[in-house]
Amino acid sequence: MNQIGKSVVFSFVIVLSLFSLLLTGCNLGNTSEDSRKSMIQSVNPDPTAIQDEKGKNYKIAEKVKKDVKSVPAIFDVAVLKGEEQVLVAYKVKHMQRMHMKKIEKDIKQRLEKNYPEENFIVSSDYKIFIEVLELKEKMREDNNFSKEKAEERLQKIIEFQQELT
Amino acid sequence: MASKNKSPEQKQYEKLEQKHELKRPVLKNCVKAFFVGGTICLIGQAITYFYIYFFHFTEQTAGNPTVATMIFIAMLLTGFGVYDRIGQFAGAGSAVPITGFGNSVISAAIEHRTEGFVLGVGGNMFKLAGSVILFGVFSAFVVALIKTLLQIWGVI
Repeated sequence: MNQIGKSVVFSFVIVLSLFSLLLTGCNLGNTSEDSRKSMIQSVNPDPTAIQDEKGKNYKIAEKVKKDVKSVPAIFDVAVLKGEEQVLVAYKVKHMQRMHMKKIEKDIKQRLEKNYPEENFIVSSDYKIFIEVLELKEKMREDNNFSKEKAEERLQKIIEFQQELT
Repeated sequence: MASKNKSPEQKQYEKLEQKHELKRPVLKNCVKAFFVGGTICLIGQAITYFYIYFFHFTEQTAGNPTVATMIFIAMLLTGFGVYDRIGQFAGAGSAVPITGFGNSVISAAIEHRTEGFVLGVGGNMFKLAGSVILFGVFSAFVVALIKTLLQIWGVI
């Protein structure tokens, strides 16, 4: 191999190793299987409610999910009902991503019309979708995870969703 | 002027020139630029997803660290002499994405190193990239000003 070829290979090795260091060094987050899968396919998560004494909240979440899923431009919906807010995270079909703003507006209007007593937070952000999945998984698996903590986490996600920079 | 009143010799020479002129492979260059530029953007998209997935970034905010990482990688590759080769092969495909910015900074710095660190590297590093930064900051300022005024007037 000539000198130039060697230097090209050498530099690629350095860049690749730096990047893999970054990838492995930061891979500390404990992620669930669902959220890993959700990057490439539809996972269709069950709707969840944090406070659910008589099953009423769960029913609302289920209805909201059905309602949002009937929009043709959407292929995956996660609904999380908190004490006061309902967080709706969805994924838009790739060819419809040009109309993301319009779709968000439509869904918000539709939900506010159909459920006037609920307060909706609607997001098409993939990160919010993952966060909802993670919180749902944590609530299901960890029995010590109290409802207050879940509500606190939901508020954090909502706050996070409104961040711009 | 000269283009209107050409002597017969000039016209003859023009014909000869056209006969021997090499045709630019425009379509081939476009295809090369498309694929190399697309590959760079694919890497950028992968880095965006990496930041969204493993760090505390949303789709909205993941753009900033992605741009920084892409520029950093392009700067390293320029230093190692790899990016020049990609540039020779792909042309605009490697210059238009944000990585071309990193390349223009570092290649100017390398080129003027012999003139000293202050007047050479420091003075010439932002020869091309400086105008990009200035234009970006200034246009962002103007757009923000327009948006603020429209918000004050209640248009949006």
